[in-house]
Amino acid sequence: MFKKFMAAPYAVFMTLFVLLPLALVLVFAFIDASDGSFDMLANFKELAKEDALGKVVKNSLVAGLSTSVICLLLGYPIAYYLNKPEFNKKGVMIGLFLAPMWVNFLLRMMATKAVFNVIGVKMGMGTVIFGLSYEFLPFMIMPLYTTIQKIDKCYIEGASDLGATPSRAFWKVTVPLSMPGILSGLTMVMIPSITTFAVTEIMSNGKMMLLGDFIYSLKADSLNMAAAISFVLLIFMAISMVISNKYNKDGDGASKGGGLW
Amino acid sequence: MVRKIFVRTFIAAVLIVLYLPIVWMIVFSFTDTPSFSNWNGFTFDNYINLFTGNGSNADKIQEAIWNTLFVGFFVSLLSTVLGTLGAIGLHAIRSKRIKTVYNTVNQIPLINSEIVTAIALALVFNLFATTLRITDGSWGVTALKLILAQTSFCAPYVLLNVLPRLQKSDNKIYEAALDLGCTPAKAMFKVVLPDILPGIIVGALLAFTLSIDDFVITKVNVTSFETLSTLLYGLKNGKQPLPADIRALFTIIFFVVFSLMMVLYKPRKKTDN
Repeated sequence: MFKKFMAAPYAVFMTLFVLLPLALVLVFAFIDASDGSFDMLANFKELAKEDALGKVVKNSLVAGLSTSVICLLLGYPIAYYLNKPEFNKKGVMIGLFLAPMWVNFLLRMMATKAVFNVIGVKMGMGTVIFGLSYEFLPFMIMPLYTTIQKIDKCYIEGASDLGATPSRAFWKVTVPLSMPGILSGLTMVMIPSITTFAVTEIMSNGKMMLLGDFIYSLKADSLNMAAAISFVLLIFMAISMVISNKYNKDGDGASKGGGLW
Repeated sequence: MVRKIFVRTFIAAVLIVLYLPIVWMIVFSFTDTPSFSNWNGFTFDNYINLFTGNGSNADKIQEAIWNTLFVGFFVSLLSTVLGTLGAIGLHAIRSKRIKTVYNTVNQIPLINSEIVTAIALALVFNLFATTLRITDGSWGVTALKLILAQTSFCAPYVLLNVLPRLQKSDNKIYEAALDLGCTPAKAMFKVVLPDILPGIIVGALLAFTLSIDDFVITKVNVTSFETLSTLLYGLKNGKQPLPADIRALFTIIFFVVFSLMMVLYKPRKKTDN
């Protein structure tokens, strides 16, 4: 009995600083800032008037999708080969891929920008996608690595015993079985990269905005409008949470890269 | 054979790209040119300036370091206490439904967009400020805001680190302690706590590093309060994105964090097997 009540402070804290804030987002998204009245559409109408929004959404989709694809194309082979028995220093290798995460991301972006300046690369969409992929690659590698690690090698041996070529066994057995990792990797790259803030600004010399930068710029004018966009993002987040939970029954948050820590 | 070479080259190439900017910064922390491109002779001046306070950004840097460490310490402390207690409580709860609620709430800060978390927290702080009539934007109020805000996403990480330890530990020993006349509190300190201590330490270090690394939530929720992240952000539009003393400062931080990570990494390796 005694033990159960030890969760009470945590429950109270999380209610006050996680659930209540989210509830406020839901409320403020539908409150008209000018007169404080409840209005389902006021903030969304205001948002529609913002000329920049269309471009921001387009840029966000392009940058988010490209970053996800690049991270998957780079991350999958890395996660796959680091799981091969021929790599005997797996721990060190995985550590090397994760270590940059522990360097402040602003610093990494500014250093990358400085390197780009030295070698004369023009800052723009390309460098933004580079920066985002740099930042989020570890978030793709980790869930993929743990998922591939858990795949029972018997399935692959079974496939080759039954006459499948190695490449066929890979595409028909390994890839489908690593689907949960691919999905949680994609959710951990896509939404954060679309809504990141400051990376775009640094990597495009302030010429480009993604959704995150846009929300931040709104914050000064109207928290209600920022809440309205946040509300839309929360819906996407909820959808991705449901999908990845469905594919990851055994995960106590392990699908969220919990294995990372 | 060809495939093996190809794979190793690929992995090496990705690693080189990942580390090039960091290595570049470290190398250029030993020269005092303002720009990042030309080498101006080897010197330790950048490092010496940091400690003597002679650098161009010295005052700001020292204030930011102090603020960051202060907030980081209390975030780590609060997250560790809340997260550990939460994990012990959650482990004892049998109801499936309550467990599901906890797990869902834990996931929210981990997968929510940082900017959405930041806006949500800004709304809640506005609400508190109006209902409690706090208009003061003083250092103390700002620090408190930051500590609460960062704890909201650090505490779940502590909980997720402690929970597996509890699941592995044997509850019978705790029960035996009670049977032998221990009070629940004493049994908790003498039996349960030592068992889960590695998880708690990893969680506390993790909360600390997450706190000192945080930028988005800090930037949205503070006005006149510099942490290392916001200080860096303030330099982004300058002619030289990384002044000499900043390069030295972050080289030191890089090595401190790197060694911290090695400490963090060891206990995890054991639990993996």
